[in-house]
Amino acid sequence: MASTGSSSSALEPDASLRPADLVVAVTSHNDARSIGAVARAIVEGAGRSFESGAVRLLHADTGSTDGTREALREVIPAGSLVELPHQGGFGGGMPYHGDPGRAHALRQVLRVVQETSARACVVVDAAVQGITPEWVDQLAGPVLQGRADYVAPYFSRHAWEGALTRGIVYPFFRALYGVRLRQPAAREFGCSARLAAHVLEQDIWEGERSPAGVDLSLAAAAVCADFRVHEVALGARGTARAAQADLGTTIAQVVGALFADVERHVEVWQRIRGSTVVAVSGTPAALGAATSGVDPAALVESFRLGYRELREIWARALPPRVIVELRKLADTPAAAFRFDDRLWAGIVYDFALAFAFRVMPHDHLLRSLTPLYSAWLASLLLQVGHAASADLDARVEQVCQAFEGEKRYLISRWRWPERRR
Amino acid sequence: MWTQVEAILRQAMTRIAEHIANALPGVLVALILVVGAFLAAAAARALVVQALRGLDFDRRAEHAGFGGLVDWSGLANASDAAGRVIYWAMLVLGLLLSMTALNATLPSQLAMSVFQYVPDLLAALMILVVGAVAAQFLSRSALIGAVNMQLRAARLFAMAVKWLVLLVAVAMALDHLHIGRSILLLAFGILFGGVVLAAALAVGLGARDAVSRALERQMQEPERRDEPVNHV
Repeated sequence: MASTGSSSSALEPDASLRPADLVVAVTSHNDARSIGAVARAIVEGAGRSFESGAVRLLHADTGSTDGTREALREVIPAGSLVELPHQGGFGGGMPYHGDPGRAHALRQVLRVVQETSARACVVVDAAVQGITPEWVDQLAGPVLQGRADYVAPYFSRHAWEGALTRGIVYPFFRALYGVRLRQPAAREFGCSARLAAHVLEQDIWEGERSPAGVDLSLAAAAVCADFRVHEVALGARGTARAAQADLGTTIAQVVGALFADVERHVEVWQRIRGSTVVAVSGTPAALGAATSGVDPAALVESFRLGYRELREIWARALPPRVIVELRKLADTPAAAFRFDDRLWAGIVYDFALAFAFRVMPHDHLLRSLTPLYSAWLASLLLQVGHAASADLDARVEQVCQAFEGEKRYLISRWRWPERRR
Repeated sequence: MWTQVEAILRQAMTRIAEHIANALPGVLVALILVVGAFLAAAAARALVVQALRGLDFDRRAEHAGFGGLVDWSGLANASDAAGRVIYWAMLVLGLLLSMTALNATLPSQLAMSVFQYVPDLLAALMILVVGAVAAQFLSRSALIGAVNMQLRAARLFAMAVKWLVLLVAVAMALDHLHIGRSILLLAFGILFGGVVLAAALAVGLGARDAVSRALERQMQEPERRDEPVNHV
């Protein structure tokens, strides 16, 4: 694998789908501004670490109209790039990440991995900011060295960033599937040919929730089939793509995909207790001081409004005891506002159960979670504020332990739905 | 003369007796049909209520948005309401059938015209049911959306959506039944025209300054599309 070839020599000059060691795919949707920098980093990274012709570069664009394809062609030598056809006509609303055809694009990429008999695949989103040439080797290395089948990034983030992942996705994913994968919904990853073949057989590609949740479903499919998982610290991640959805829609899409996977893997997660640590390569970057764009007081007010107007809807998903706890929380002054971890874990599990038992339309249920998430985020920010990453990680660890502790409740209610706390 | 009077009276009595004798089987059949319909309706009502309760119909109907309709009916729950509808439908059907058994022209015509009206009635009922479900769904969507946008008047907004949809459904149902079509149209015109005029006046007079400030801000500031925080 290791090579010191020139930047362009690692890329196969003939774009036909001949065998390659590594497939690097760039997925894009109207990313003309950022795709050039991403492509340059990939070409340089491939040149530094791989032998001539060992890397096949794919571009899976999903209908860009801003010249994204042309911008990439300016960077990648003609003939060295395989452009995958765009399917077009994606139904449903725009996903939170702004790429409506992502599921189809990923599926095509993984098919190419099979066709070229590549040993590994790296997927990078064209909107990503902060990418360095090392990412290619970091994401592909553990797979090519036979240490992992799925390599997830571990991005360093401030307390107010990625709170949905910290507060729901990671603790829930970890408690259910027993794997401490911190960012399972990440849009950059590396995977082995074996895993690619496995996930291509899964029914994660064409559902209502696949455009927004395919990355999460892919990670869930990997851990549920006992594929080896690895994390790499890649520093900070930014995005050049403007957010395409409000908070309620984002929650509905991400949490909806998470809950849909629960039904898909019910035989697996009911057998799992506890969780295992995932090996991490590299050291997480220390983040500098930054100002939060989130005001905890406004979040608390948002929760209070939600409690006043939505508690009848919540009562359809949550047991009476929890509603009483929420009333107490709504009456608590902002300075002393603390969301108990076990209460939060129980609420997320109750919403997962309500989702599975279809107590109301999924969209209503998931969007009604927004004020509760706001309350949890307010509580987190009031507790950790601008604390160092280690303190934040320790706080998230406590949340995860609460989720693991409450998993018995989820299993019990899943098996005997009439039981209530 | 008395002999003639007696003869006429006898003939009259004979004719009345003959009429009664002719009508009696029909009346008897009508009575049997009424009693049978009553018994069948009571049995059907009991069965339907029991079956629906077994299927947890009350909770499901509440969730589906029929709570408002049940409240209007003045009954405790949806199962009782459905049982009551079945009961009265069967009873009315029995009464109409019993009228035809009387072999009289007017009641038979009445029965036939009512039977012809049944499809319209069912269609109107379907419109009401769909309207109630849509009202509940849209009202809840509006409430959740407004709360997530942190609108203080979220409940008011949701109620407005609910009643608007319900009113449209009721109007459509009545229109389908050909009841007060022109009055209905006029009432709706007045109602919606009034609401729009009131809203226009409220914004134009009461919130004129706020609106102009908001418009100025929007025109002066560049469009801001990026979410300041990435939650995922």
